[in-house]
Amino acid sequence: MIKRTEAIVLKNKPFADADLIVTYLTRKYGLINVHAKSPKKIKSRFGSSLEPLTYSNISFFGKEDASLPRLIQSDIINPFQPLREDFSSLTKIYEMLKLCLTFLPEREPAEEVFILLLNTLLKIGANSDSKIFRLYYKIRFLDIAGLLPSLDICGRCGTPPDTNRRHYLFYIADGSIICNNCAKNERNPFILSKGSLNFFGSILRWNHSSVDRIKAPEKLISELLELINSHINYIIGSKFVPKL
Amino acid sequence: MAYNIIDELINNLTKLPGIGRKTAQRLSFFILNMSDDEAKKLAAAIINLKEKARFCSVCFNIADKDPCDICSDPSRNKGKICVVEEPSNILAIERTKTFKGLYHVLLGALSPSDGITPERLKIQELLQRIKSGGIEEVILATNPNTKGEITARYIKDILKEYDIKITRIAYGLPIGSDIEFADEVTLTKSLEGRRDM
Repeated sequence: MIKRTEAIVLKNKPFADADLIVTYLTRKYGLINVHAKSPKKIKSRFGSSLEPLTYSNISFFGKEDASLPRLIQSDIINPFQPLREDFSSLTKIYEMLKLCLTFLPEREPAEEVFILLLNTLLKIGANSDSKIFRLYYKIRFLDIAGLLPSLDICGRCGTPPDTNRRHYLFYIADGSIICNNCAKNERNPFILSKGSLNFFGSILRWNHSSVDRIKAPEKLISELLELINSHINYIIGSKFVPKL
Repeated sequence: MAYNIIDELINNLTKLPGIGRKTAQRLSFFILNMSDDEAKKLAAAIINLKEKARFCSVCFNIADKDPCDICSDPSRNKGKICVVEEPSNILAIERTKTFKGLYHVLLGALSPSDGITPERLKIQELLQRIKSGGIEEVILATNPNTKGEITARYIKDILKEYDIKITRIAYGLPIGSDIEFADEVTLTKSLEGRRDM
């Protein structure tokens, strides 16, 4: 049965001499792997449409339970070519793709994540500074996946944070802020400023279209990005952000 | 008994990329019908390759001696270095018989998704060759895909400070193809890279 959907290439992997296994995040079917026959050959009909980040309309063929359907068509909607021309920018964008590759189960529809990724790529493509979009993407992704760190109450006793404090203690192993009473014998907390805590709450309330209007201080964005990356590293159990 | 010998060869041939059991069976019977001389030459070629193949310490091409034939050929233009990802790329370029310079094999391409960072490629060695002098042009002939492109751009950025010409192989439509079937990115690149006639 032929299936058609919009999709974004997350990665591709060589298979045999000239074939590729392409991993897509699709609008209708979630994360899928497909087999593309001979895209490396000069006259392949796939052209550049299987390169990472390419947003396209794809058709693939396979039985309902086929582990590796065959890709039969791929028409580019937006290649996002400028985003993948620079090593450091691609590395940062890859952090976003890796969230999908790590946390999304195969063939489980995830339209919300698809729209989030597509909108983020569109926003990053039009802006030189991508930090705020990457932060927004990561927080929203973790929210959708149910893996969001808890910053609204103490992860152990459930009391809300004291609003008079200027700093809060976040413990990676708890995935949560911990109040001073509960944290008496704990070591190495992540110190989170009050501004970052409020900013985190705001990001969860904002929708995608308002992100590019946010003029948040660089320090807050960096602090939250560091916290979110540490939180993800802990969940994955490996280094999430590659060292350059 | 004979079938065990044939089976052994079939099983070993199926380990090669692109060789399934049927092809391995066909190859095995072809080898069986070869003359003794031909079969021994084939076996010797495989053993030779495994015993003698090594990386050239200058360009990292695979060769049976160090430096390789290309690096030690006095007739080649030592002012031009063509940077490629894999040794097999050199074979493809050599087939054109148009490039008479030297090569430098990176042994891979940058890939954030696979954790391949600049330190894992032979980029420092390329820099050393350039620092040692005599290089006029570096031709970046990495593959025209995402990994190849970011690798080329990365090398271009680190070579900016040296007084050498840096060029990238052209993008465009393959000869014999049709514009109607070209994808947007390839067509855009070929329009950007158009030249005077």
